[in-house]
Amino acid sequence: MSLHGCEHLTSLKAAYGIQPFYIIHSYFIACSSIEARRVKAKSCFCHTCRYRGLRVHACLSCVYFGCYNEQHIHNHAKTKKHNLSVDLSYGTVYCYACGTFVYDEELENVARKQQRAAAATLGIKRDFAPWEPGQDEIELLRRNPKRRKVSENSHIGLRGLINLGNTCFMNCILQSLTHTPILRDYFLSDQHHCHMTANPQQCLVCEMGRLFQEFYSGVRTPYIPYKLLHLVWTNARHLAGYEQQDAHEFLIAALDVLHRHCQGQGTNGLSYSSSHHCNCIIDQIFTGGLQSDVTCKQCNNVSTTIDPIWDISLDLGPGPGSTTAAIAAGSNLVLSAVGDPALPMAVGPALVDLPTASLSPASGFTNSPSNYEPTSLLDCLKRFTRPEHLGNSAKIKCSNCSSYQESTKQLTMKKSPIVACFHLKRFEHSTGYHKKISTYVSFPEELDMTPFMSSSRNNSNGYTNQIVRESATGLSCDNKYSLFAVVNHSGTIESGHYTCYIRSHKEQWFKCEDHVITRATAGEVLSSEGYLLFYHKQLLEYA
Amino acid sequence: MADLQERKIKDAQMRATINQKLVETGERERLKELLRTRLIECGWRDQLKAQCKEIVQSKGLEHITVDDLVAEITPKGRALVPDNVKKELLQRIRTFLAQQSSM
Ligand SMILES: [Zn+2]
Ligand SMILES: [Zn+2]
Ligand SMILES: [Zn+2]
Ligand SMILES: [Zn+2]
Ligand SMILES: [Zn+2]
Ligand SMILES: [Zn+2]
Repeated sequence: MSLHGCEHLTSLKAAYGIQPFYIIHSYFIACSSIEARRVKAKSCFCHTCRYRGLRVHACLSCVYFGCYNEQHIHNHAKTKKHNLSVDLSYGTVYCYACGTFVYDEELENVARKQQRAAAATLGIKRDFAPWEPGQDEIELLRRNPKRRKVSENSHIGLRGLINLGNTCFMNCILQSLTHTPILRDYFLSDQHHCHMTANPQQCLVCEMGRLFQEFYSGVRTPYIPYKLLHLVWTNARHLAGYEQQDAHEFLIAALDVLHRHCQGQGTNGLSYSSSHHCNCIIDQIFTGGLQSDVTCKQCNNVSTTIDPIWDISLDLGPGPGSTTAAIAAGSNLVLSAVGDPALPMAVGPALVDLPTASLSPASGFTNSPSNYEPTSLLDCLKRFTRPEHLGNSAKIKCSNCSSYQESTKQLTMKKSPIVACFHLKRFEHSTGYHKKISTYVSFPEELDMTPFMSSSRNNSNGYTNQIVRESATGLSCDNKYSLFAVVNHSGTIESGHYTCYIRSHKEQWFKCEDHVITRATAGEVLSSEGYLLFYHKQLLEYA
Repeated sequence: MADLQERKIKDAQMRATINQKLVETGERERLKELLRTRLIECGWRDQLKAQCKEIVQSKGLEHITVDDLVAEITPKGRALVPDNVKKELLQRIRTFLAQQSSM
């Protein structure tokens, strides 16, 4: 497609400049003021047959609007020799001498700018434009003429992984990561610029990039991820050794190493700084914001903290009687707080200032809706975001009252991550016993996180008469997710085996058991036990 | 007969007024954005794009005009819009009108 219009447009521009187009576009196509919208509402109709609707064109040479369907604009063009018109629905320019739409870079830029401004005045956020290759990309495509077309039933991206001795926990995580759509796009479009310049062989991100190349190369023989395993071992020493490890622990460790290597931090140790504003690909994809609101029962003062999280761990068992104390101590909700699992939450003003007495079991804890076993992911999330009464023995220092008071605490999602990973806490480790909880927990193929967002919490304040505002936000499908990977654990806590289901293409599911990959149905996936559930946002907002 | 004629004129007037309101308030742009989003979400856009490509390829780029393509693809495109998308839009328009009349 040429962006230089045609000779007729060129001579029109030479005579009048872009002014005619500019005026028509700002008054009748993309309006940024109420006045312009009024004019548009009144006057967009065919001057010959008075038709209002799609494909009414405005002449670029005089004040005439004519419809395209009945060819009134064509007749005008012919009789007056006014060759060019603008479609009032889309802003495209048509040349009647050439008999086709013509595109001009300068006009396109004007149009884009005005459309953006118009959307902004209406509070419409999205500025959707299809991807177009830049100069570099066109050059790259030219130099690499080989194309691989991915069809409906293509097996590309599917590859088994050899078990290197109890490494099924790792294989499942690698399968889940390699089938994370946005991570795949990142690696296959070659966007990692290595920061471990001194020793690129040690970079786990580079190694992941090679893994993606191996997966999408079209080779079907199982891949041996020994180098990757070695890299994880050297960077997360607690996972080293040929014993079965926890897949969840591996996931968090892998994300942490990837995040560190993205920044070029090769050394072991704490990468976490209290102001976690990392923009690496791992954080862009996996980091969500967890909001914690603690409300003082005495004065209703709310102190809010927001913590970055990579995943959400959900309790399965019935809420134990001592929930109060556990929650107050922050141990009931084991969140993999980014970078440092040992430092979960609440670093806000005067928030965690717990008297040691609060760790003793609570008495007189009524109103305990936690005393049921969740049977679905939604149950778990409801429980997770339900306001929790912190009892008499778990008083927290209120910054407003300047004294220890009873309070209510509620967790909600402030920011939803692109990939939401849910960890069903099936392994219970208490002093003296380890146990696996095998209760069935149903989980949906499509998940809407809206009820668990912090904004939903604020909305419950009874704000009415907000249809316009609500409908504007309703446009954003920000919180809708689709399931794309499920990691399962079978067997007992001592000797078990990990397998996973991954979704490739739109609706096709596959079961990965180390080097064996078999086709699966969505039904199988949804009725499996579920240990780690990976959901991907359905729609991404382009910033 | 005269009644029917009158009704038709009234309907047309009504349609014009509603359309004018939608444009003036900017609601039309919001609806367009919602529709665009929904059509992308449900795969309508990709489907139509693929069909356009097919048509262009089968006729040859040199022998096809935009008008041909529009004529051929419009009925298909209309038929492929999912019912729940239409329903949602209708609901939104109803809500908007209810709100307008109460003002
Ligand atoms: Zn006309
Ligand atoms: Zn004219
Ligand atoms: Zn021309
Ligand atoms: Zn690297
Ligand atoms: Zn990071
Ligand atoms: Zn207080």
